[in-house]
Amino acid sequence: MSSRYVIEVGNRHIKDVNEEIQAAAKAHHSLLVRNTLSRHNLGIGLPKGVDVAFEGSVGYYCGGLNTGAIVTVEDDAGWGTGEGMDAGHITIGGYAGMSAGAAMRGGTIHVRGDAGPRIGVAMKGGNIIVEGKIGSQAGFMAHAGKIIALGGAGASCADALWQGEVWVAGEIESLGVDAVVKEPTAEQVAEVDAILEPLGLVDSARNWRRIVSGQRLWYFESRDANAWLMI
Amino acid sequence: MADDLNGTYHYPFPEAPEELVKFGDGAIEGRPAGVPSSYDEGGSLRWTPEAISEVHALAQLGRYQVRGYNTFNKRFPTFDDLTFVPATMTRLPLEGYRESCDTTTILGGGRGLVEKPLELKIPIYIASMSFGALSANAKEALGHGASKVGTMTCTGEGGMLEEERAASNKLVYQMSPARYGLDLDHLRRADALEIVVGQGAKPGTGGLLLGMKVSPRVSQMRTLPEGVDQRSTVRHPDWLGADDLAIKVEELRIATNYQVPIFLKMGATRPRYDVAIAAKVGVDVVVVDGAEGGTGASPELLLNHTGIPTISAIRAAREALDECGMSGKVSLVAAGGIRSGVDVAKCLALGADAVMIGNAAMIALGCNSPRYLDDYKKLGTSPGACHHCHTGMCPVGVATQTPELTARMDVAAGAERVARYLTAMTMEVTALAKACGKSNVHNLDMEDLRALSFEASAFTGVKMAGIDRAYGW
Ligand code: SF4
Repeated sequence: MSSRYVIEVGNRHIKDVNEEIQAAAKAHHSLLVRNTLSRHNLGIGLPKGVDVAFEGSVGYYCGGLNTGAIVTVEDDAGWGTGEGMDAGHITIGGYAGMSAGAAMRGGTIHVRGDAGPRIGVAMKGGNIIVEGKIGSQAGFMAHAGKIIALGGAGASCADALWQGEVWVAGEIESLGVDAVVKEPTAEQVAEVDAILEPLGLVDSARNWRRIVSGQRLWYFESRDANAWLMI
Repeated sequence: MADDLNGTYHYPFPEAPEELVKFGDGAIEGRPAGVPSSYDEGGSLRWTPEAISEVHALAQLGRYQVRGYNTFNKRFPTFDDLTFVPATMTRLPLEGYRESCDTTTILGGGRGLVEKPLELKIPIYIASMSFGALSANAKEALGHGASKVGTMTCTGEGGMLEEERAASNKLVYQMSPARYGLDLDHLRRADALEIVVGQGAKPGTGGLLLGMKVSPRVSQMRTLPEGVDQRSTVRHPDWLGADDLAIKVEELRIATNYQVPIFLKMGATRPRYDVAIAAKVGVDVVVVDGAEGGTGASPELLLNHTGIPTISAIRAAREALDECGMSGKVSLVAAGGIRSGVDVAKCLALGADAVMIGNAAMIALGCNSPRYLDDYKKLGTSPGACHHCHTGMCPVGVATQTPELTARMDVAAGAERVARYLTAMTMEVTALAKACGKSNVHNLDMEDLRALSFEASAFTGVKMAGIDRAYGW
């Protein structure tokens, strides 16, 4: 830990901070970013093989477009944490703002506190684990991947899903359009437990609700296709 | 009183029998012969045969209709409502065949923020049309055709197709709200990024790709189940308003290491405000797509009844940039219904820095060409009238994912047609520019135009022909 390369953020131009992070990631395995002041766009497009810890809280898009780095945020994170990430692991110590994991394709996001609305919106893969509650419209139009909430879920949970899944252990305020609750099979629970296991979060007493698409919207437009041939 | 009129005159012959006055000899019983009959023809301007069949369609389907192509609304003022007024006594023309006229077009360099602004040889490039809406062969042909004449193409929302990347010397990578196939590597291999807020054909709604076109390859690129109707999200997943977008733009600049310009594409609705906001969030290029813009599939009502005409949108956009001091810093690209170099020249004169063509490029590839007539017939249409891109059964292989049909889209021939079409369009632009005395196509301006209709003048501020005054408000 003591050999960590330290980067100070403060009031520096965010472009310079990111350049320093990218350059340091080439030479060091472990970076500590200090004095973050909740600045936006910290650690964009991080490479594989580096471990970056952000002290305090961060603003929007921290760890966005991550391609394999291990990222830790000590406190809270703003909107779009880990958006578009392809690989890697992001841990938020506190609260994650709106749209964490938006359009992510792979990797893991782990939020220790609660998460804001639209977590995992349009995600294409990977896993999001939230120890607290997830906000409204969680998993909106998620194509693939899993959102796992150990707490409850806000309104319109799992709205208009493709093949993504939302797992909720606590109360669900309301389900979104075309969302259906399915009883998980033992194998499906085992799969989720395998995701939770490395985080030390397995608890066999949980009453899981697995929410998937009802597929009513999947063929909404083309069901009258023959009629259109004559338009 | 009219009744009195008949009272006093007496014919010098017996009164004609009523039967003959009413053309009754040989006429259909009970119908006045020869009277122009509203019974036969109809004539309600409201309840036209089209409006009636629309009601019948809705009454049978219980839902709106979906189709591709572009607006069928005939009441738009168009490019044809404007004419050029070339040099005469007040200015000198350039020699059309002998003197040169520069067509070089630089996009995205105005803010001085990025390392590699786009330098195109001509002011025209190929619009964002996705792989999915178009076949891979069509995308590849567009790429090669554009590369041959020194211009560029755009991925559209379906992600980066490797064939297209390889074929296109310059390629804009589009980030739509759905973020299909979004990949940092693709961002970094692009020559520009484009954030899509909307499109002219159907502003305020997301992309639409019917199940017939969600082939295995399309489904894999978009992470969708095969054969589903892909109705894309319209709101971006990780920003909502302008303040957030400004941060997003910074993120994309960092991700691409401040190398390439960032575009923002919008459907033309309130360009005076929307373009000013786009300039404010920090993008390098604003693309304004008018209501005549095309699409692969859309609810028909949106095509016909949303958005504003391209000619009006360009003026509003240019004035917005002028008013906030961003002309020169932010480039303006216009699109929507551009068919020829004449239309391009009019866009430039109205204030665009470049234009983008979609439908026109598809037609150059072979859309609506008179071949495979039986297949047009199966669609209930004919060459010249086809607008069936939504069905995935494109007879010429442009807008389909069916292998037997895509094979009809010959990449080499399509590329050459696109290259020739772009060349011809550019010649048309320079011919007009030189006649107007301009040695650079970007020097065309409002004074080179006159309006042929009140609407065109009122919508654009171009002076009315002859009277030389813009329609006054
Ligand atoms: S020919 Fe093909 S591309 Fe052209 S309108 Fe018909 S379906 Fe669309």
